[in-house]
Parts: sequence; structure tokens; C-alpha cells
Amino acid sequence: MSGWRIPGSRVIERQTIGNAKGANVDVYVAGVDIGSTMTKVVVHSGTILAAVIGPTGPEHRRTAYKVILEALEKAKISLEDLTYVVATGYGRLNVPFADKQMTEITCHARGVSSIFPNVRTAIDIGGQDSKGIKIDKGKVINFVMNDKCAAGTGRFLEVIAEALGVRVEEMGQLSLKAKSVPKISNTCTVFAEQEVISWLAMETKVEDILAGIHDAIATRVHGMAQRVKIEKEVVVTGGCAKNVGLVKALEGKIGYSVLVPPEPLLTGAIGAALIGEDIARQAIDKGTPVRRAERRLSEVTFFDEAASRGNRS
Amino acid sequence: MVEKSKTTAVHSSETVRKIRFFSRNIHDKANKAKAEGRPVAYCMGGCAYHEILEAMGVTSVYTEHYGGVCAAYRVSEPYLIRAESEGYANNLCGYCRNTIGFDIVRQELGHMPEDAPDGGIPAPDMLLSCSAGCDHRYKWYQATGRYWDIPTFSFDVMQIPPFDTDIKAIKPYVMKYQVEQFQRLIDFLEKLLGKKMDWDRLAYLVKRGNESLWTWYSAYLLRKHHPSPMPSEDHFSAIVPAVFDLASRETLAFYRELYGELQFKVDHNKGVLDQEKYRLLWAGGLPPWHTMAIINYFETFGAVFVMEASDYGPWPFFDVPKGMTNPLEILALRTWCQRVEYWEDAKKGCGHSRVQRILNRIEEYDIDGCMMHLTRSCRYQSLGQIHFNNLIQKYVNIPLMFMESDIVDVRDYNEADTKRRVDAFMETVDSFKRKGGRQATARR
Repeated sequence: MSGWRIPGSRVIERQTIGNAKGANVDVYVAGVDIGSTMTKVVVHSGTILAAVIGPTGPEHRRTAYKVILEALEKAKISLEDLTYVVATGYGRLNVPFADKQMTEITCHARGVSSIFPNVRTAIDIGGQDSKGIKIDKGKVINFVMNDKCAAGTGRFLEVIAEALGVRVEEMGQLSLKAKSVPKISNTCTVFAEQEVISWLAMETKVEDILAGIHDAIATRVHGMAQRVKIEKEVVVTGGCAKNVGLVKALEGKIGYSVLVPPEPLLTGAIGAALIGEDIARQAIDKGTPVRRAERRLSEVTFFDEAASRGNRS
Repeated sequence: MVEKSKTTAVHSSETVRKIRFFSRNIHDKANKAKAEGRPVAYCMGGCAYHEILEAMGVTSVYTEHYGGVCAAYRVSEPYLIRAESEGYANNLCGYCRNTIGFDIVRQELGHMPEDAPDGGIPAPDMLLSCSAGCDHRYKWYQATGRYWDIPTFSFDVMQIPPFDTDIKAIKPYVMKYQVEQFQRLIDFLEKLLGKKMDWDRLAYLVKRGNESLWTWYSAYLLRKHHPSPMPSEDHFSAIVPAVFDLASRETLAFYRELYGELQFKVDHNKGVLDQEKYRLLWAGGLPPWHTMAIINYFETFGAVFVMEASDYGPWPFFDVPKGMTNPLEILALRTWCQRVEYWEDAKKGCGHSRVQRILNRIEEYDIDGCMMHLTRSCRYQSLGQIHFNNLIQKYVNIPLMFMESDIVDVRDYNEADTKRRVDAFMETVDSFKRKGGRQATARR
């Protein structure tokens, strides 16, 4: 494999690498997206070499460490081969081997635009939050996030799945069989769960209740995303984009079809990797060193925000 | 769960750092007046009556001010809960719930609550509300009045004129009506207190009030400078003298000192930050008094809120016509000029005074990004913010974020969530700036 090899030990001091001009240099980058529910890693070099998705534990640093190791193994490279690592997601500050942290808003916009260049609105429905992002030529021009409530997120679906005794993965397909859509509260997960139990007690079919749940989430997410004015093309990402019932309900609210990436969980990590590639390429093209942060492949059990934030610029 | 860390803002202005003592002094004066048997009134900001009360010997206690103080000390929660236990909804104005709860607790204890900031506020002898600002203020003092056997008085203060009116034609009628309303208040006070208005003193106080407001206004024009000499976290403290103690000589001295400090900073190119990378506008909403330190958080990115477009701001200059000697007419004119400050621009521009103020300030203060504070319990300041954003974007492409919490109720605040939004916002501002910054759209 051509490209840079970083000399030294597994703990790389804050330093710069490379100083030669040349666009032909292979650049290996990684994007690490630590979401509230899932951790996603993409290793990229012109194309995606490896992508790994794993659950996020309470100890983000430990999780990130394991997932990146798996991704590196799949890509058949080592951490030292990575020219740049960008972390994103709400646990991004807990990634000790990242060179830079970027918010998921910027990374999602970049990732989605790389798959759908004409995207104008990205709607991300994640495990515990949802967001609407207005995009122009791959850049964020406005964004909105959900308020302090689980209604309108994947957590809402998990709670309801448990109440109904169905698997989360089945909810979308099942809901497509609905004959009628009961009106379910979209203001509170706890109240919605109570409503679901009430509907069950009235012998309402599970598929109908599921359609009602999807309609409730779609109403809430649509209302939020409208704050940035939804415009074509609309791309839906996040774990909830895998739920065809929810996507259909959202299309009903928006009034036209939306696009869903082949793997909607990965757009943030892809965007992070591509931003890392941009940074590395810019430095290489200028013949300047790629500025990197200290990388540690150790499990850290405490969280020093100030130290992590030092890597921001 | 709110972590125990510094929640008040770090001020950059030496003058503004004295505001804590200024605020304490306002409440000390009220408690002293009460102890000495002089009349004390619960009052509301924006009613334009401060000089009238002062001239009548009435000591004013601004309950919205005290709500902010309680929030800043993080002691308002038990008062809010107490008000809610009386049946007041938790999305009712935070100032209102704080005051009602505080009043009940003080009444139940039979003395001032021990943790009351500034030594607490005294029980009022009268309740004076007005129609300025938000709709619920009429009802607030009506509700408060049920707990006290004291007179409640409410009067009209003009609003921004509608756009389908000819303001030159309506101005004489509005002025006349406003003077009548001020006279109603004076009649009420004269009857209640059994004494006559001291018109000479009122004229003197109005003149001094104008000078304070104009000095404040002049000081803020200096904030256009690059780098800006004063940030919004300082502004939200600097409002205290003008909004809650306008007639005093200390207020005039405060704004003169502030002007001097800002002029010095401009002359010596001293900004809030050594490296001012981004200039932000506080585009709407009252601040989160419980966590003013969040404004400092923007500064860690090199961003400074250089100006505000909220209703708590300096009032514009106006000429007092020769021959206008009635202080009530001057007070009415001052209020009129404040209400129509952006009316003409809005008529030619976006059609909305409050949005026009934002658009003008984006240009005048060279703004890179806007932030609005969406507060569930402050309808007046929060309703329409989404519409404002959409309207702004028709005229200028500029990043705008919404921060969501409350003016008083810290239970509505989520530090981690707020910082996540700020992080994303600052990346967007940076991205815009790298591409050349805000851009006027075709409609401008």
C-alpha cells in the first residue's frame, strides 16, 4: 500500500506529518460519528474502504476505540495509516484519536451532498434527536433541532415497539398494511405510550396503531423541519429512515417523494471522513504539513472537555 | 440536572460590572421607602411612567426586574412552583409566576424569604400595569391584586401603528390619547395619595430621563466599531438603570461613564475579544437570566454579540419642539418616536418594524450571524420568530439559530443541548464567512 506511514509509537504526539507536494499521494481518512444510540465509522480513500456500525455505550471513548479498530481491520490498514480522523455526533468530544471535531449538522450536510448532490433539505431522525438541515451546494445554510423531547425520534419508536410487542425493524412494513390511521398524540412519548395501550384495549389492529405512530412522528418532524423551509430534493437520514412506514408518512406531509441513502445511518460518518479528506488534501496541495492532534488508542474513563475543545480550530 | 458551575456572565465592561450594586440599590431604596411608610408600587417595564411616579413620590418596584434577579441567583424555582401550585400554568410568563410565588411565600412566612436576592422586594401599596408589551400584563396584576387589598390601576400605552395607517395623520390623535392616559394615572395617584403633582419636578425628571436615554443611545452607536467594545451580556445588565430607574441622577451618571468607557475602547481599538472573528446579533427574545454565561460560550469561538434587536434597547433621539413644555406631551412624544423608529423603513422595506430593525442592524453593525432566544413563557417576544427568520432570509442570506429555554425558569434549560446548537451554528457562521459572509438576496 502506498501513502504515508506515520513513524513512532501508538501514541502519536501532537505533530504534523508530510511536507511534500503531490496530489497523487493516497490519503486515508476516517469519519467517526458517535450518536446517542449508534456509533458509526467510515474509513475512506477515494471510496469507502470500510464502514462499521455499533451500539453506543455509556462510555463513548471505549466504544469508539472498538469500532475504529474493527473498521481499520476491515480496511486492512492501521491507525497510523490514517492521514486524518474527524469525529462527529454528540459524543464527538470523547474520541481521543480524532484530529478534529465537527458537529453532526456540518457532517450530515457534507455526507448527504456527496450521495445526492442536488439535496436542499436533509431531515435526520436519529435515536434521540431529529434535525432539519437546509443545504446549498453541500454547505449548511440553516438548521433546526428538535426540542427537549423524545417524541419525533427513534426513542419514540422503541418505546412504542415495546408497548406493542413488535420489533423495531418490523414496524415500517407492518404499518403499510394499515386500513385506518388513528390519531395519536405527538406531544409526549409517555402519553403516546398510554394512548397506544388504550387503542390496544379497544382492539385496534397493531398495523393501524403503527401507522398512527408514524403519522404522529412525521407530523412533529415535518413541523420542525418546516422552520428551515423544506425544499426539493429532500433526503431523509438516520436510523428512522430505515422505517418505510415513517418515510411514507413523512412524504405524505411534505407532499412529494423523498430520497433515502442506501445506508441512512452512515451519512454523518461519511461527511466527517470527506471533511477530513478536504483538510488533508488542502494541506498536501499547498505543500504544507497536515496538522494533526495527539492521537491515543487508549480507553479513557474521564472526560476533559477543555482539553478536547482545544482541537477545534 | 443543572451542574454547579458559574451561570452568570463574565462582563467585559468595567462600568457594567457595577450594575449588581446598582440593582441592589434600587431594591434597597424600595425596602427603605416601605419601612419609612412612603408609598411603594409594583410596576412594569415599558409603561413610560417612571418620572411620573418619581415626581409623585412613589417608589417603583419593577417586578420583571426582580424576576430576572431571582433567576440570575437561581432562587426562582420554589417561587415558580408555588405559583404553579396555585393553579397558574407553567407556560405563563416566568416573571409573573416568580412574582406571584414570591408574594405568596413572603405573605405565608410573614417576613421576607431568607434567600431573597437584594434583601427581597417589599409588599406594594398599589399595582400599576399598562398595555405596553404583552397581552397578559393586564391580567398579571389583576391576579396579584387578589392577594392584596390594594388598588390596581391600568392604562394604555401606545403600540407600533398598523401599516395601513397614515402615521402623520394619526400622530396628533395618538399623542392626545397618550397624554390623556398619563393624566388618568396622575388623577389616580393624586386621589390615592391626597397630594398634587409637582409639575416642575416632573419636567425636570423628564428632561434628565431624556438625557440618560440619549447618552445610552450614543454609547451604543460606538458598538459599530470593529472590534466591538461591548457585548450583549453587558447590554442585558446595562438596561437596568434606563428601564428600571430612569429618573435618577445615578442613571445619567452610569450612562455617561459607559459612554466614556466605550469611547476610550474605540479610540484605543480595544474589543471584547482580542481576536473578533465573528460579529453576532441578538436578534430577538429576552435573555436566559438564569444562565447568562451561555453568551460567553459564543466567545470561545471568537464570536461577539455586538448588538441586539430586542425591545430592551436604547430609545432613539428626538427633537422636543420649541414651545412643547408639557412634560406629559414630551413623554408621549418620546414613546411615539420609539414606537415608530423603524416604521418608515419597514414600509419601504420588509413591511414589519421588528424585522426591519433586525435587517437594519445586520447592515449597520456588520453582522455575520443572528440568534433568537425562543422562550416558551414569553409569548410577546417569541411568537413570530419563525416568521421573522423566513422574512429575514428573503432579504439577506445569513445564518440564524434559535436557542430555546426561558427567561426565568431554569427547568426549561438544557445546557448540553444548547451548546450542541451553538457548536453547529458557529460552524455554519464560519462556513458562511469563508465564502464571503452574508449576502443580500435579489429582493433587497
